[in-house]
Amino acid sequence: MFVDRKGVLPLPNTLSKGLAAMITPKQISWLIAAFFVLVIAVVFQQIHTSMTEQGIASGGPYDNAASYPRIVAIVIGVLVFIQVLIDNFSSYHTSKEGFRTEEGTGTELALLKRPTLLLVLFAVYLGALNTLGYHLSTTPMIFAVMWCCGSRQVLRLVLAALVMSFAFAYIFEKFLNVVLPGGIFALNLPW
Amino acid sequence: MIFDSLVSGFHLFLTPVAIGLTFVGILIGLLVGALPGLGPLMGIILLLPVAISLPPVAAMGFLIAIFVGGSCGGSISAILLRIPGTPLAAATLFDGYPMAQKGRASDAIGIAISASAIGGLFGGVVLIFASPVLARFASGFAPPEYAILAITGLFAIAVISGGSLIKGLISGCFGLLLATIGTDEFSTGYRFTFDSHHMLNGFHIVAVVVGLFAISEMAYQIMGKDLLDKPNVKVVRPGLYSIVLTLKHWKNLLRSSGIGVFFGALPGAGGVISSFTSYAIAKAWSKPEEKYGEGAEGGVVATESANNATVGGTLVPSLALGIPGDASSAMLLGALLILGFVPGPILFEQQPEMVGGIFLVYMASNVFLLIAGILVTPLFVYVLRIPKFYLIPIVLLLCSIGTFALQASVFDLMVMLGFGLVGILFRAGNYPLSPIVIGLILGPILENNFRRALLISRDGLWIFVERPVSATLVAINVALIVGAIWYALRKRKAIPKPKQTEA
Repeated sequence: MFVDRKGVLPLPNTLSKGLAAMITPKQISWLIAAFFVLVIAVVFQQIHTSMTEQGIASGGPYDNAASYPRIVAIVIGVLVFIQVLIDNFSSYHTSKEGFRTEEGTGTELALLKRPTLLLVLFAVYLGALNTLGYHLSTTPMIFAVMWCCGSRQVLRLVLAALVMSFAFAYIFEKFLNVVLPGGIFALNLPW
Repeated sequence: MIFDSLVSGFHLFLTPVAIGLTFVGILIGLLVGALPGLGPLMGIILLLPVAISLPPVAAMGFLIAIFVGGSCGGSISAILLRIPGTPLAAATLFDGYPMAQKGRASDAIGIAISASAIGGLFGGVVLIFASPVLARFASGFAPPEYAILAITGLFAIAVISGGSLIKGLISGCFGLLLATIGTDEFSTGYRFTFDSHHMLNGFHIVAVVVGLFAISEMAYQIMGKDLLDKPNVKVVRPGLYSIVLTLKHWKNLLRSSGIGVFFGALPGAGGVISSFTSYAIAKAWSKPEEKYGEGAEGGVVATESANNATVGGTLVPSLALGIPGDASSAMLLGALLILGFVPGPILFEQQPEMVGGIFLVYMASNVFLLIAGILVTPLFVYVLRIPKFYLIPIVLLLCSIGTFALQASVFDLMVMLGFGLVGILFRAGNYPLSPIVIGLILGPILENNFRRALLISRDGLWIFVERPVSATLVAINVALIVGAIWYALRKRKAIPKPKQTEA
């Protein structure tokens, strides 16, 4: 499944229903609604605290820096409310075949194992980048990601991870003058 | 004026760095276009951090070439693997793949590349002549017009992208909200900075976009079952004769290029709509013996010329008005802004040499596309054989080093990861991501002009309907929304209800 130009890519639908733990479109819809409620809450909290203290939450168009984000947050709130109504209280959802169906299909939680592992790996890598430095953290990250993809040819993976890591470091440091994080060991190669 | 700007642009373009990087950009564009799951937008996003450390014209040449090459590269995998590398090449499948099945893969790819380059050049001619005219017209615009124009751009993209009007608008508004983070230009107060110095200038657009698109895309790619597969693709070598084959369809070529430019200039429409429309028209006007859908050369000519002409069309409102036509051109505008140039009439007035340089790199990109596409296609076929499990860490690495390189900041990496999670959530809920980028780019334009308009207004919001141009734009916005709601309701009614089945 590929991302389209508009950036839309639906979760892969699974045909198996019932036994496997699923995350349904309705649950995702609530999750997104909760995300936006949080965003709107932050906007209003900041307007009534930080911006009010700075004296930029009132006055005319020049001084009032809060009016525009407030309008945008209200518009988001109204739109999210309408979307929640559509998602949850509309009688039918459109199925892949073009029919209106009572329930949308979900995604098995087991399918999310790999992406979750990838994100955890990536987060650990980003966290380690400052401490261990680029060279000590990148090769293991690449190796782990390829392993996570299902490849088990250890020697080939190690070689590929080393080549990728050093090739990128060479291009960025040599040609683009980027100083990659050296970490606590100050490991920066003099190309 | 056009001639002067081109002449002054020549001095900036005729450097080994600018020419060389435009050529490299085409190769990278073809590569990201050919590899399923990437595409021109991803190519621009991943290499934007590299580009902004280059001289301005070389940087724009590099990114525009990725856009041009990426818009064409998708046809290679569409023809050989029956998998469009990008949605832009989806319509190329109809006749490109049957041509390959009949043993004419080399011809199909050659025609796709030639039609793309010629369509792109057609788009370039329109860009060179239309954008200065549009910029001159827009130079009379005041804050009310700019504010409404920004809303029009956002509406158009939200209406067309992703299918759901409301989801598109929510995404767009989310982008507008993100753009407010940082120091307010008017009051110099801090908004949503949480007393962190990292937030004083808001989130870096590259960190946000890389997270939204690239990180979330990799999370989706890794769910696939084909990560270790090595596609069996035969090496093809298109020849110069394919240019002749393409030119035999000159009427189709001109018509489809025109359609491409038209849809490109409309915010939100883009290459997918233009390629499908031009294919439908070419098929309707074809002779029965051409057999569209069974390997007709005309089908490939129509779709590929249209989707590359769209690039030229998209750049017209982007450069002349500062209103991006799609997410890729929004990223190009983002790059221009980072490089210190303000797109819109002011760019044409104050930096005509930069405008000329951009025109030239765009035209050169299409010429290079023709040369590189025909010469280097066998190499891309080898690239298509690379299993995806090598690709995912490469993209992640490029994301992280590229984002880090922006400001040598680990905070940007955290922002990238955070927006990666947001991107995954939005994709899961079928919320389009492109309007977020457009909102981010248009946000400052909209807010600054909205507040300026209110400052000069004596009647508050009435200023937006008192002036003829802004009133017309308001009417267009109302029509867009009413039309989209009407279409959505009509579509909903037309969907058949399933018959009751026994359990």
